[in-house]
Amino acid sequence: MNEIPTMSTEQLGMSKYTRRQFLKFSGAATAAGAASVLSINDIAEAAITRPLPAGTPILVVVTLYGGNDGLNTVIPYKDSAYYAARPTLNYKPETLLPLTEDMALNASMTGIKSLWDQQKVAIVRGVGYPKPDHSHFSSMAIWQTASPQTHLNTGWLGRWLDNQAIDPMLAISLGSVLPPLLAGGTQSGSALPIGGLAIPNGAIGKACLRLSAVSQRDSKLSAAAATSMRNLFNLSSSVTPVLSQAVPVADDLPTVAGGNAGGDSNLTQQLNVVAKLIAAGAPTKVWSVSLGGFDTHANEANAQAALLGTVSTSITKFLSQMKASGRSKDITVMVYSEFGRRVKANGSDGTDHGTAGPMFLIGDRVQGGMYGDQPSLTKLVDGDLAVTTDFRDVYSSVIESVLLSPAEKVLGPWNGRVKAFKPV
Amino acid sequence: MDLKRLETARLYSRFGFGPRPGEYAQALKAGVAATKQNLLNPPQIDSGAVALPVVTDLGKRPEANTPEVITFARQMRLQSEAIEIWWLDQMVATNKPLQEKMVWFWHGHWATSIGKVNYPMPMLQQNQTFRKYALGNFNEFAKAMFMDGALQIWLDGGDNTVKAPNENFSREMMELFLLGVNRYTETDVKELARAFTGYQVSRSTGAITYNDKRRDTKSVTILSKSAVMSPEDAVTHLVSQPNCAQFIAERIWFRFVSSQTPLPAGHPMIASFAGRELAPLLSTLVNGSDLSNPQYEMVKSPVEWFIGVCRALGLTPSKLDSFTKLHGYLDKLSQIPFSPPNVGGWPTDEAWLSSASAQFRITFATWLVGQADLSALTEQVPAARAAYLADLLAVPEWSPRTSFALREVRDVIPRLVILAICSPEYVVSP
Repeated sequence: MNEIPTMSTEQLGMSKYTRRQFLKFSGAATAAGAASVLSINDIAEAAITRPLPAGTPILVVVTLYGGNDGLNTVIPYKDSAYYAARPTLNYKPETLLPLTEDMALNASMTGIKSLWDQQKVAIVRGVGYPKPDHSHFSSMAIWQTASPQTHLNTGWLGRWLDNQAIDPMLAISLGSVLPPLLAGGTQSGSALPIGGLAIPNGAIGKACLRLSAVSQRDSKLSAAAATSMRNLFNLSSSVTPVLSQAVPVADDLPTVAGGNAGGDSNLTQQLNVVAKLIAAGAPTKVWSVSLGGFDTHANEANAQAALLGTVSTSITKFLSQMKASGRSKDITVMVYSEFGRRVKANGSDGTDHGTAGPMFLIGDRVQGGMYGDQPSLTKLVDGDLAVTTDFRDVYSSVIESVLLSPAEKVLGPWNGRVKAFKPV
Repeated sequence: MDLKRLETARLYSRFGFGPRPGEYAQALKAGVAATKQNLLNPPQIDSGAVALPVVTDLGKRPEANTPEVITFARQMRLQSEAIEIWWLDQMVATNKPLQEKMVWFWHGHWATSIGKVNYPMPMLQQNQTFRKYALGNFNEFAKAMFMDGALQIWLDGGDNTVKAPNENFSREMMELFLLGVNRYTETDVKELARAFTGYQVSRSTGAITYNDKRRDTKSVTILSKSAVMSPEDAVTHLVSQPNCAQFIAERIWFRFVSSQTPLPAGHPMIASFAGRELAPLLSTLVNGSDLSNPQYEMVKSPVEWFIGVCRALGLTPSKLDSFTKLHGYLDKLSQIPFSPPNVGGWPTDEAWLSSASAQFRITFATWLVGQADLSALTEQVPAARAAYLADLLAVPEWSPRTSFALREVRDVIPRLVILAICSPEYVVSP
């Protein structure tokens, strides 16, 4: 047990790169703090020397936790059944943002409306899956695993990761917990808490770096444990400098009875970080961000409008921020929630858990317009909207058109597609 | 690798939640056979048992925006916290490690989340059922689980009626609980759903009532047997299938031996489960030769890791400062008792090894070590400390890499302990 360790200086933390040198490579303006010595292994080196090639499509997934009321997002504002079902929870037609003959956007979504006018927004209507589950928890799991029938421990983007070369920076979720969405069987995305992964620094940092060195005596899982710790240094040494640039404070979000069904509260801040990292050339093809608070069982109108306003403003700002980087044309934003809500309002000017809802695909690669049939407000299924488009149709198209990968490896054989992307 | 150290370490970390100070070294002296005997023949009464928390029927959720709903929400939170901290304390304090580890196993098997059940009372009752049958008769256990309020709520049992059958429960009963996927047909799922109709469940108490009007009284055909079957009849029929013995042996193997290598064909656990008694199945596994095979490594789940640290360092979860912080760390590591991610149970191995979890484990470890009494380690001469920690934590051996890392910090006791418990050799059960 006490044999002499055989490790290179790099493994021992005496890397040829100092943190300061790395900052130069990564193009960050200023170095924060002292230049503590860090090891940078192959993966981080790839992040510096091989940034995401220009023109590589990037997917940004926005998850709205709590069940967004689709009917008050993309509103069938000329349908008398809408007003009949929601006598005190509807919007006056003249306040809305008309999209087509019979559909209008919630008045708070002016940013998305202007992108719609530029034909950069595809709205897929009536999206869901067979036998809708009304539990936040189960339904979100179904959306994220893309498996309505059987329970999987992997997310659909995690399974996409399984078919890629190992790279902890390929898919990154903002926030402290990795959503099931990015959990793969052989490799998972990385969770990046806002403010960056805190590298253990000083003496404990050096000690942890020694502890995470490669050892020939490691078994497969011990090696994986060491690697996860080593990657912490790599990830944080490459992204922390970017994150240490000033980040604007998060929007003040409304204090609403939006339930506790998950999601973060600072979408603007998350997208701001994503924007910086994309601009810095992070070799990341998939980003995951989220906003919670959509579980509007009561007094819905103001709360939901405020939340949708945040979604709209933060996405619009994010895309305009990206213009300077030259990558705005590569980005596709996908917005979804675990279910829509009941057609009929409940007794407290809110809505209960429902089924189908609209999805948004936004970006230069998107062919703007309406996709999927608007579910009928009169032919309901147990009081709920019928699902007209399976979310796997949308996922398949995203996997093929944005991630440029075969959908079958992720979703199994699946025929449906939503042709919402411009031909390449 | 010293196989005796390896096998003894596995007996502690896989079939329990890790040793208390001195236990591992003592077990090495007593020998593997004696350690197995002790594990399989614990005292009748768990002298470490922690008193159950008081959990009451909180009734229906009051209307929104009323003073009552505030009291209600507060009680829900307090009682949810109470059952979580009670179980964590119990895992640390138990003197019947195998029994407690089996309760944890069954929680991951009949994986039910308070995320949907909401009320703490049915969750605690389910936990008591796990305790009652942890090493008991599986047929009785499975029948009791059909009548389990939390599981009924979790799988929409109350929505399963003669007019509108809901297959959620019947599917999982076959796929995840009793037989394993593809060991039945879609028709079997539908037929079993019919046999399960007629029960309603109170969300706040988990109490189950029978409603004749909702019951499908016709004959059903399940796995080639046609009869009018009560849920108990149907469950017994499923449990009697040879595939049930195969499946339970597979699940025990998956959680206790290896999630990477499948159960070897014809493993002796299957035959020892002929009477559907769990104790002989476990004792066959423990007494067999698999535990000394170095290839079967596993990653400790975050709760297993945390409980092991508490046992080794003499920490009590409810006495840590504070519950909110503790819950936050477990949440960041994505494993909170009573909140499995889905009905498939907890993930395994690499799923626990993300870079973010490496960071959180280090901060969690720093927080825990800061609250521990480390004087026993301080009394050791510096050169003996790594070996002392290996025995304290039931680590068979430190790699040269970790030995070196520990040696560099051996004079800074808290840092030394943080490194030891965050080392690959401790995060993984070799």
